[in-house]
Amino acid sequence: MRFEDVELGDELPERHPDVSLERVRTFVRAGHHDFPRFTDHEVAKREGLPGAVVPGIMSQALLSAMIHDWAPGSRIRSLDTVFRTPMIVGTKPTCRAAVTDVDDDARTVELDITMTTEDGVTSVLGTAVVELD
Amino acid sequence: MILDLHTHSIRSDDGRAKVENYCQWIRKKEIPLDGFVLTEHRQFDDDSDYRGLEDRYQLLILKASEVETDYGHVLVFGVNDDLRQEFDFARIDNPIGEVLEAAKRCGAVAAPCHPGRPNVGLFAHYERKPEVEGIELIEVFNGGSRPGEDDWSVREADARGWAGFGGSDSHIVSRIGFCATEFDDDIRDMDGLLTALRSKRFVPRTFR
Repeated sequence: MRFEDVELGDELPERHPDVSLERVRTFVRAGHHDFPRFTDHEVAKREGLPGAVVPGIMSQALLSAMIHDWAPGSRIRSLDTVFRTPMIVGTKPTCRAAVTDVDDDARTVELDITMTTEDGVTSVLGTAVVELD
Repeated sequence: MILDLHTHSIRSDDGRAKVENYCQWIRKKEIPLDGFVLTEHRQFDDDSDYRGLEDRYQLLILKASEVETDYGHVLVFGVNDDLRQEFDFARIDNPIGEVLEAAKRCGAVAAPCHPGRPNVGLFAHYERKPEVEGIELIEVFNGGSRPGEDDWSVREADARGWAGFGGSDSHIVSRIGFCATEFDDDIRDMDGLLTALRSKRFVPRTFR
């Protein structure tokens, strides 16, 4: 994906990332971010959560992966997220993004990024600035 | 005339949308909006001047507020200096009765938004506190609602004789226009919006 190929309003292909317990365990161990609230539903419930939650940094990683799937080799200059509702481990989220601004001089685009739960509730929203060749 | 009555820009702490990007998006995506109202959280934005954007994109851009009360969030249209002396917009626990009364006294219109939402919606508070007097309209369609929340709002509004309007509650550009309000009359400024809201000559719309 080159800068010239992108227009305001373009929508990135949707992604349905794997947030199974096994996948989350792999992520938190690799990231040295291994806390039971991410990998144990009962512990998470005792902490007042609805179940084990996908770590925020994993949600950001999945959104970043969606961007790089769309534009391999692009550089994510910023990723700014707001966490609104916990994403529960073992559910089926949807990641979406759309181009909302284009900077011809910097050859960057701004994206709206969202991760929604399977019943359509927004779990994570934000923006990313991406530099393209 | 169709207006999105509930939007946030980067002036709100959790808003990530620049106002010009809203305008560009509306035109590029041919969203059937004639304008929108910026309802920033816990404040009124005195500083921003959007007249240039209004002219460039042929959109009406008005400013209002979303304040927080002991019965959830409330949109306030027609904020003026008198109203801002009546209660603290930055507080998260303003007594709703005081907000509704102050708005009426100062010529503004106040309406609970996303009333079906847990914690920050009006109806959640009815489960453990007395019902509120003085409500005349509520937001029945909200772009961020969970399944069932808007249906509940419509049922309650019908049962109580309240008028219902719609707003996207957008915090990012691509969510603007998910819900809106279609007015019978042409609206050119905040006074026109206040008149239209009081007349109840409008219907909520959803474009999701």
